[in-house]
Amino acid sequence: MDFSQFNDAERNHLQRVMEQKQMKDFLKLYSGLVERCFNDCVNDFTSKTLSSKEASRKTLTLDFLEGCIQKCADKFLKHSERVGQRFAEANAEMMGGAK
Amino acid sequence: MSFMGGWNNAANQSVNMQNMAMAEQELEMVSDLFNRIVSSCHQKCIPKTYIEGDLNKGEAVCIDRCVGKFFEVNKSVGTKLQQMSGAGLPM
Repeated sequence: MDFSQFNDAERNHLQRVMEQKQMKDFLKLYSGLVERCFNDCVNDFTSKTLSSKEASRKTLTLDFLEGCIQKCADKFLKHSERVGQRFAEANAEMMGGAK
Repeated sequence: MSFMGGWNNAANQSVNMQNMAMAEQELEMVSDLFNRIVSSCHQKCIPKTYIEGDLNKGEAVCIDRCVGKFFEVNKSVGTKLQQMSGAGLPM
């Protein structure tokens, strides 16, 4: 976003607002990811702990065998990153078209 | 000491609260749009069977098109609402 029309004090203010927002967004991402991957991956309650299919254990030999939760989180972050790229392009195009 | 000059400058400058509210609202609007696109396109493009952690070709293409279409819908709904408010119809 373009904040060049604001003075230093106003830019400082917006900087603080954005930092607070980033913190809030991170917490939202965290809780959202937990909820999403829990709902998509965990459906079996015959045991108290996550199965190896649900979540991989940290082992030296089987690190490449990822559980559903690892894949879910990994995929969501990659999804979000790709949306971000396309979003930036589309947003720039929209702003350019408006002016 | 241009940095100190800049800092002192900031301390003496007044903050226009109305402009700040507008900038914050715009920030909120853009980030809300982004979050809605992420959740809509995830729902439509990513199957719940997590076979791999990477996006496959089909998912990647789906996401690209999904974002494009969401923006188009956003634009056309915006145009429609603008026409309605221009015609003096209640919103």
